Amino acid sequence: MPSPSFSLNIGLMEARLRKFLGTDTLLSYWLLLPTLVFIGVFFLMPLFNAIMLAFRADNGAFTLDYFKKMVADVRFIETLKYTFLLAVTIVPLQLITALAMALLVNTGFRGSRFFLYLFALPLGISDLAAGLIWLSIFTQHGFLNSILYSLGIIERPIYFISYQNIGLTFLAVVVAEHWRATAIVLVILVAGLQMISKDYLEAAEVLGARGWRKVWYVVLPMLKPSLQSALIIRTIFALQTFAVVLALAGDIIPVLSGEAYFWHFLYRNSHIASAYAVFLMVISIGMTWFYLRFLRSRMEVIRG
Amino acid sequence: MRKYGIWAVALFLSAFVGFAAQEITWMSTQFVPIAEAQFVRNELLKPFAEETGIDVKFIGAEYAEFVSRVEAEYEAGKGEIAVLCGLHGDFVSVVDALADLSGVAVGGTISDTLMKLGRMGGKQAYIPLMQATYLMVVNKKALEYLPEGADIWALTYDDLLQWAKNIYEATGMQKLGIPAGPKSLLHRFIHGYLYPSFTGYQVLAFDSGAAVKMWEYMKELWQYVNPAAPTWDAMDTPLLSEEVWIAWDHTARVKQAIVERPDDFIAIPSPAGPAGRGFITVLAGLAIPTTSPDFDAAAKLIEYLTTPEAQVKILQGVGFFPVVAEAAGAVPTGALQILAKGVTAQAGSPDAIVSFIPGGISDEYKKIYKDTFFKFVIRGEPVDVRFLRSQATRLRELYLEADAPYPAPDGG
Repeated sequence: MPSPSFSLNIGLMEARLRKFLGTDTLLSYWLLLPTLVFIGVFFLMPLFNAIMLAFRADNGAFTLDYFKKMVADVRFIETLKYTFLLAVTIVPLQLITALAMALLVNTGFRGSRFFLYLFALPLGISDLAAGLIWLSIFTQHGFLNSILYSLGIIERPIYFISYQNIGLTFLAVVVAEHWRATAIVLVILVAGLQMISKDYLEAAEVLGARGWRKVWYVVLPMLKPSLQSALIIRTIFALQTFAVVLALAGDIIPVLSGEAYFWHFLYRNSHIASAYAVFLMVISIGMTWFYLRFLRSRMEVIRG
Repeated sequence: MRKYGIWAVALFLSAFVGFAAQEITWMSTQFVPIAEAQFVRNELLKPFAEETGIDVKFIGAEYAEFVSRVEAEYEAGKGEIAVLCGLHGDFVSVVDALADLSGVAVGGTISDTLMKLGRMGGKQAYIPLMQATYLMVVNKKALEYLPEGADIWALTYDDLLQWAKNIYEATGMQKLGIPAGPKSLLHRFIHGYLYPSFTGYQVLAFDSGAAVKMWEYMKELWQYVNPAAPTWDAMDTPLLSEEVWIAWDHTARVKQAIVERPDDFIAIPSPAGPAGRGFITVLAGLAIPTTSPDFDAAAKLIEYLTTPEAQVKILQGVGFFPVVAEAAGAVPTGALQILAKGVTAQAGSPDAIVSFIPGGISDEYKKIYKDTFFKFVIRGEPVDVRFLRSQATRLRELYLEADAPYPAPDGG
């Protein structure tokens, strides 16, 4: 005859099973199933196949040849350099600008809403269109040269976009990207600012911290989660900058996503294109991990 | 009930009306840009439908899609595509799937040289439709700086260098233009024009002493090329804005400039180097797959498109030049006549070395030529024979991997 504790265990298991099969939990899984299948078939499977493209040759054999070829490319070092240089230059610049804009808009002065929409306007156009707009400004017969010439400042047009003036070309790309994408960071920061409880700000004022000190000691620490999200999002997109660089600088400034594009569409080797894409993905994941690790909010640390 | 009965009969009968008009599908790697596709549909296929009652459905496709579709239909043994249009290189990849067109009538006289180019795999694989080439377009303002003794209809590369130098010394501006953007046709200039003109071959002499001399020459020439060149994919805009006075590019990519200001420009043959005047002939043709559902209708379309009238229309619509002898005389005055003059002069030059675009190999060869150019010319690094050798090895590997012949003039 089974021991009493044994039958008690069976009873507990039965009760747990019955609870699990109870309508709510199982129904939730059933409702999720169509979405999961859709994501699996149209997103995860193609993603997996695309990643495997970089590792699998046409005959199905596993190989690292494509990565080796990618690294051995004549312009690989240059590509890496510019991809990182672009991200490292743009992200802090945009962060500071967006923060200033967000703080300004958050004061709620008359017309602040209008300025918020104005700042966010470039978000509505595609990045290729943004690149072309700035191309028409920086090109030899573009707006900038025409204005400078008519003001008598220059005698001959300046070749802003050329290999000889690669510094200027890079600057042009930075300006265009800055104009186009600061709003992404701005919108996140504005949302974050509005979530800060007024109590903290009033307490700070009462205790004598106002203006810049209030911002530095109260607002910014509370803004850390938003800053973290904005940084992660903006850095990943900055590493993937593609259309703006292509439109403005063409072949002069190579970047990883551009090389992936050319390898697939121009040189017709999808394997190497996929290698570039996988490499970019790994870098993005790495940066995200880095941010999440080192930008933990101090509040969590205090609590923990 | 009788009312509905009549409608039912009418509906039933209308289905047969639909089937009575013939419809064939035409897949093409040419005329793909929207403006060109519209031109084909409105100016070529609509009159054809009115004349013969055959509706032609035009589908534009990129090379990869073209090849996979033709191969798929060939393997399946039956297909929907009735007629094909492609470049010589496109057909090289699918020659087994093409029917023999030896008996097909054409609308005009096509020279033997061109027809011979269409013979592959022991049969007439395609019938030439149109040809294009790359040449130089010159703003008449540049003519006063032409060096002494240089003949504009038979320039050499040395003449070109001196000419660009003269302009630079007189005006302080770099008025020579070669498109070097990511989607430009720079690689054609290198493998089809420079290499044959200096070394006599496209591939065989990639890392030879003559090639080293060629790269040294290009480095020197680049000093007089407009620095914005690496951002240009086509030369018509820089010609119109006068950023350049002397340009090299495909006829279709300079056509707009001449159309807008025909009195300002002339088209001349590309220069000649120590080995000859190397230039590319881009030949597009029409083929019928063995799995075509309607061979006769397809043949009718081929005959129609090779009449002098259609050939002149094609020239006017997309800037590709006729292959039919009768059409050459029929080009009306204007921009196209200017271009046609240059094309004919180039094709008829006594020191001509005709190059073909490499077909059947991975497009990576474009990168090999472009990277070499970027390294030595744009970046200005000293010409390194070891690098040339490694690039040459990689290039030869591409041909070996695809088991493809070297293109003309290498004697493939």
